[in-house]
Amino acid sequence: MEPQLTQRPALKRGCRLSTIEPLLLIPEGALRLQGPGRRILELCDGERSLADVIDELQAEYASAEPSKMSGEVVAFLKALAERGAIEFL
Amino acid sequence: MISPPQALIAEVTHRCPMHCVYCSNPLIMQSRENEMPTGAWEKIISDAAALGCWHLHLTGGEPLSRNDLPALVQAGRAAGLYVNLITSGLGLSRERLEQMVEAGLDHVQLSFQDSIEESANLFGGTRAHAQKLKVAAMIREHRVAFTINIVVHRGNLDRLESMIALAEELKADKLEIANVQYYGWAVRNRANLLPTRAQLDKSLPIVAQARERLAGRIRIDFVLPDYYAKYPKPCMGGWGRGVMLVDPAGRVMPCHAASVIPGLTFENAREKPLRWIWEESPSFQRFRGSDWMPEPCRSCDRKEIDFGGCRCQAFLLASNAEATDPTCSKAPLRQRLEQIVTEANSPLADVPPSGAWVYRIDPPVLSS
Ligand code: SF4
Ligand code: SF4
Repeated sequence: MEPQLTQRPALKRGCRLSTIEPLLLIPEGALRLQGPGRRILELCDGERSLADVIDELQAEYASAEPSKMSGEVVAFLKALAERGAIEFL
Repeated sequence: MISPPQALIAEVTHRCPMHCVYCSNPLIMQSRENEMPTGAWEKIISDAAALGCWHLHLTGGEPLSRNDLPALVQAGRAAGLYVNLITSGLGLSRERLEQMVEAGLDHVQLSFQDSIEESANLFGGTRAHAQKLKVAAMIREHRVAFTINIVVHRGNLDRLESMIALAEELKADKLEIANVQYYGWAVRNRANLLPTRAQLDKSLPIVAQARERLAGRIRIDFVLPDYYAKYPKPCMGGWGRGVMLVDPAGRVMPCHAASVIPGLTFENAREKPLRWIWEESPSFQRFRGSDWMPEPCRSCDRKEIDFGGCRCQAFLLASNAEATDPTCSKAPLRQRLEQIVTEANSPLADVPPSGAWVYRIDPPVLSS
């Protein structure tokens, strides 16, 4: 399912960012985060909407092309949702 | 280069208030007197994190038989590890759970023995089912991930649907339905535990339908009995490849059952550096890679997939830890396995089992 821009992405219960390495720890193991992956997930706090997350990232990574970035962020979060690591509230 | 372990399985005690008929603990257990103190465990936990582990699984026996669990959870979190408690639920009070959650517990895996009380208590050898239901509700009050684990076998596999309903009712995030693996105490009860092929065939579509219906709500893991498989399981992801287990006395092993294999000496984490044990000790090197393999494994294209199967199972079924795991259809000793399976499917075998059970006992207390 396509997440709506008004939905609020959040890490699921039992999933969290490692405090030591760029890793997303999940019950079955861990996923290594590359590039802005860690930053994206830090913003997925269940408070910000998907639109807010994309806006903030665009401000932080000013050199990235906006439409491309938002597509990539959505794809990244969708892939994590399929693995059960993210939910859209 | 030997890649680091991903998980430390800390078998902190062998004491347990349950007596499950399929317990995978070794028949010869460590007594309370041999259990390591808190400080020794804290050091092992931080050394394991430094070695590269991501996960800490606190298990036993019943880990809550020790009273220092919050300290061990904290040691795991301080080292950056993901902390999982594997428990029967007995001994888990509201207060202890709160202490552990505050210390950073990420995940609780609670075992049930069945979906109905009478037989659950029969298979667990303890009146525990009612207490577990209370514990499940308590766990759900906290923001920790919650997995329900049910070991299935001949005596309860027919109740799969009500087990799934139980996990829904208790709002688990995940349900792990694991067919008995024949190690430890389960070998003693094998004739009573091994399901029939008909039971197994019936279970597959039930799991498939439940997975579809509960997608996005409850993940369902279903571990098949390898006695019915064509190829063996890649046991522990391969010997010394991903998992490191430390027993209550500090012995470091590649899996739960490895102590059955004769002729192997397992190093103690209190005497040798954990990194050396993982990377170089003879017991971890013994079955790494494929140089030790006999034929047909040596020239098989699956040798990097299942690593020749399980060494402990090879020993238990073929009396030789170096043999191809007899659960493989290509194994020279597959016949031994087929005989066991044929007996289980004979029209004379009782379903559900009516035989006598051998219950898991607690480690003996050493007198001083
Ligand atoms: S007796 Fe049961 S609860 Fe206790 S360690 Fe064995 S399997 Fe786990
Ligand atoms: S022959 Fe050995 S490597 Fe090949 S499938 Fe069987 S156990 Fe695995």
